[in-house]
Amino acid sequence: MRKIRDRATCYTFGTFLISSSIIIANDIGFSGAVNASYGNSYDFYNFSENLLDLNFFYNDVQGWVQYEYSNPPDIGFTTNDIRKFRLEYVADDFLIKLGDIYQFWGRGLVLNQFDDQVTHFDNGTRGLYLEYNKYPFSFSHLNGNSDIWMLGGGARIPENNNIHNMSANRINYDFSTLALGFTQLETNEKHSLNSGPPVDINHNILGSYISWAGNFSDIFLEYADKVSTMSVSNFGGIPNDTLKRGYGYYQNINIYLGNWGLTTEYKRYSFDRLYGDLTANEYGNKIEYQQMPTLAKEHNSTLLGRVSHTYSFNDERGIQFELNGSIMNMAISMQYAHLSRNEKWRSNSENDWSHSIIDNYLPSSDFSALPYWENYNEISGYTLNERLYFKIGHGINREIIKNLRNFVGYQRDLSSIDTSYIEVYDSLEWDGTWYFDTTFIPLYDSIFTNEYNVESKLWQEAESFTIPVELNYFLKSGYSIGIGYQYQERKKFNRLKGNATNYDYGKSKWTMYNPDDYSQTFSTKTTQFATENGPAHKQFNRLISFSLSKASKWSLTITHDATSAFESGQLKDPYYNPLEALIYGDIKYFIGKRKNTNSPKWAQNRWVSAEFAYNITSSQRVSIMYGSIQGGLFCSNGICRIIPPFNDGVKVSYNASF
Amino acid sequence: MIKARPLSFSSHFGSIVRSYIFLIIAFNFINGKDIVSESIIPDLKVKLLNGSTTTLHKLSQDGPLLIDFWATWCVPCKKVMKYLNQYHEEYANDNFKVLMINTDTPRSLGKVRGFIKSQNYSFNVGMDPNKVLSKKLNGMIMPTLILVDKGGVIKWRHQGYVAGEEVEIEEQIKQVLGKSINEKNKG
Repeated sequence: MRKIRDRATCYTFGTFLISSSIIIANDIGFSGAVNASYGNSYDFYNFSENLLDLNFFYNDVQGWVQYEYSNPPDIGFTTNDIRKFRLEYVADDFLIKLGDIYQFWGRGLVLNQFDDQVTHFDNGTRGLYLEYNKYPFSFSHLNGNSDIWMLGGGARIPENNNIHNMSANRINYDFSTLALGFTQLETNEKHSLNSGPPVDINHNILGSYISWAGNFSDIFLEYADKVSTMSVSNFGGIPNDTLKRGYGYYQNINIYLGNWGLTTEYKRYSFDRLYGDLTANEYGNKIEYQQMPTLAKEHNSTLLGRVSHTYSFNDERGIQFELNGSIMNMAISMQYAHLSRNEKWRSNSENDWSHSIIDNYLPSSDFSALPYWENYNEISGYTLNERLYFKIGHGINREIIKNLRNFVGYQRDLSSIDTSYIEVYDSLEWDGTWYFDTTFIPLYDSIFTNEYNVESKLWQEAESFTIPVELNYFLKSGYSIGIGYQYQERKKFNRLKGNATNYDYGKSKWTMYNPDDYSQTFSTKTTQFATENGPAHKQFNRLISFSLSKASKWSLTITHDATSAFESGQLKDPYYNPLEALIYGDIKYFIGKRKNTNSPKWAQNRWVSAEFAYNITSSQRVSIMYGSIQGGLFCSNGICRIIPPFNDGVKVSYNASF
Repeated sequence: MIKARPLSFSSHFGSIVRSYIFLIIAFNFINGKDIVSESIIPDLKVKLLNGSTTTLHKLSQDGPLLIDFWATWCVPCKKVMKYLNQYHEEYANDNFKVLMINTDTPRSLGKVRGFIKSQNYSFNVGMDPNKVLSKKLNGMIMPTLILVDKGGVIKWRHQGYVAGEEVEIEEQIKQVLGKSINEKNKG
């Protein structure tokens, strides 16, 4: 845990005040932003997070300071210090940066740095960046250190960190609509394991990209090749011996015709492989600087966000098509994506797995390659004399989440043991005389039946169907009314298939489904959702929101989130708050016949919240939220975070820019 | 096991006070009623969607410039976009321009041009996948609008969009252009 460094903070803040005063006195250009948020909930989800960003501009010099006071933040460590800073010198041909640097080259197969505080992912480099531009060429060099923290088992405090000492170079040729670049990145990583001391690994990535943009189409291609070596001997290994080698390829071709645009994308990332999920103990694979396109729809619907696929940058290939167009002033969008791992996995036994590379370039539909399908269509626009805005979507997805068993082979049964005797004849010559002897030796021999086919497959699968709808009606007085409705049907189940049910370690054989008829197969689905009454075949989710706004002044939004069934381990709403009672018209609550901590059963799977936002000025906004928010999966930039539930709490946020 | 605990601010009183002081200090830097500083916008380089590169000063040297930060997944951004394109075309004779700075990450970067083409938008589109511009101009909340006059002085800032705010946006544009608020209606 990091300590709050009060004294250092005083010095830094004092310096900050003095320098800021000088800035104002000298009329140097500056801009800034304040983001403050505070939360306090029944289930100890409390935070106080304050960030001040200040940018300075003076001739060719630019500066940026980010100050944070968080105790504790929504996610991350308690901090009371200057969090980020950067000084830049920009000349006609030169660009020099010193401090916290974030670079983005190509589409991120080699280097894509960003600071995402929502998922607490920051892969920026503290160091030096140099850029020299001589049209049409530019040369870039980045050098420094990164201390990258990631969430482990906890939802809010990061547990794993990888430390990098890196350098990267790029040559870019940028001539009108054609761009060509060569990139190189080398880093010495101190990689944290789930347990035990960290390991030292050297990564070297070479990449290249090319792009061309025409009137009716554009193309982008990028390839990266990566070699990882152990920096020192580890577990008896040889220092500097190749640990892992991998590559990544991404292409994006767009075609435009009239007011229609077709986006096609293809990816193939192969840096490491495993039949299950890779953990921190599998090192030498994709590094944190590599943040690549995921090839999926980036949804703005809460329910679609909850069923987002967990992408693998280490081992995944896929295609995506998206068609955007407009008819009669309505925007139309249609998207389809199909992803899978690069290989199919077979289990030789319960714990022994082998793989075979998929022998074409396209994603597989075989369950052992963990395929994912997504289709989303949306229509939006204005009607009723441009007073009604509408958006209607339709999203379906299906994925194999886990491949738990995939055995296809043969076995034989023991039919009997041969216990008969064999006669052994022996002879011996002694003193010119031959002696003969006959011995009976018992024979213990296993007699097997003929080989027969055994098939045993077990996987976890999920599918969902979602309809998000949004309507906004504008009144002439500047008021507007909004209604949002999202409906979702979701299935998640374990699928068991074949003619064998499980492997019996005692007998060292597969247990057949029908011992009398081995050819008889079966297929079962075991749902992962349950209600109080038992297993539930489907989960139904409904999210309704109602909003009333006065343009440029304020807006009030009430949100009601309900689910019909839970996965094991998912928490119910444990606290019954007055807002929920008011929405449900529950008189018992207000006459003291219900306890807050003993929610009625029908309210335990519902979360209600109200948020009021007020624009103090056009650049200052304050919002207050009261109520409960269901926790769940939140994904951004290919990084997912499980957000804890926020029950019966208050969130206050203030943001301003100047 | 979660224990029942009444909602209490007292345990966080100290942190609230500190946060408040922090904010007050921040506001002390600012003069005037609104906290928009009428400073000249920095001359930052912008890579446009068509592959060319320009700067904010070049874009605002002939007339006012309205900058808006957006992404393809941002619904309010798409709602206001229709009006911004309308103003870009309507006040083009006054050398007014709209610059839409896109902040899509590699996840959806490939879809930006397709979306713009499909809607027939004619405003300028800048690319900022690394959020360099949005951090320097404090446009991390989307949409964020920044209106600068012909000389590049920041005149107005606005965060977010709810229906009806397009009226105020147009009023601000007219003010910068030196036009009467009702001129359009009279015309």
